Amino acid sequence: MLAGGLRKIFMRQFLIIGFIILLAFDTLSQVSFKLAGADTHPSVDLAWIMRVALDKWTYGAILGYVGAFVTWMSLLKHAPVGPAFAATHLHVVTVAVISFFLFGERFSLMQIIGSVFIIAGIFVLALGKTDRQI
Amino acid sequence: MNSIATTLWLLCMFIDALGQMSFKAAATKVTDAEGLERWKEMLSNFWIWIGISCYVFEFFIWMAFLSMVPLAQGVLLSCLNIMTVMIGGRIFFGEKLTGKRIFSASLIAIGVSLVGWGA
Repeated sequence: MLAGGLRKIFMRQFLIIGFIILLAFDTLSQVSFKLAGADTHPSVDLAWIMRVALDKWTYGAILGYVGAFVTWMSLLKHAPVGPAFAATHLHVVTVAVISFFLFGERFSLMQIIGSVFIIAGIFVLALGKTDRQI
Repeated sequence: MNSIATTLWLLCMFIDALGQMSFKAAATKVTDAEGLERWKEMLSNFWIWIGISCYVFEFFIWMAFLSMVPLAQGVLLSCLNIMTVMIGGRIFFGEKLTGKRIFSASLIAIGVSLVGWGA
């Protein structure tokens, strides 16, 4: 019984740490995308693709993608898919916080209300099991 | 958002949904093979290459889009893919739309319109 209790505690910690790592990777990739875009000045030609290939932030974005994919696959083995799915979208919050401080981005009141709607939508999708089907 | 950013965003959402549908099509193909053989079969599947192409293409479109809009706004707008994938799942794989899913998609759609054009 004691072993079972301990396993439960470890599992919970494993999931919490896993979600934090997932969030960190997702945030890293989006911030890197923004910085790579700013570095390389997108244009519709081969020269831009070359600039992207040579930019360090491109590799930050790829590292974030690969890291998030591996973490996600490991988490899916143990976490219920609803909350896990929501966790893959919660980087909208961490990215917004970083954008505020790092890039000085500001939202209008309407945009803040819109963000609340989107986050509420993600949570609704994450909650519980499926209900009546159409 | 200006019209170029809006076009890039819509293109991204479309390619993302197409990529997800392609991977689903590749993954659900019935096969008896296991282990390495299964992977070999998967890699010879037409849809997996469509999916990979979508992701490569999306990588560049997404970067171009983010260079035109604030990062927080762009990332919030990307949540529309929850809705496009849901609709794609319904059309191509007959996945059920539950009341909860429709409610959630509606919240996201309202939110996306406010975040995108409520400046």
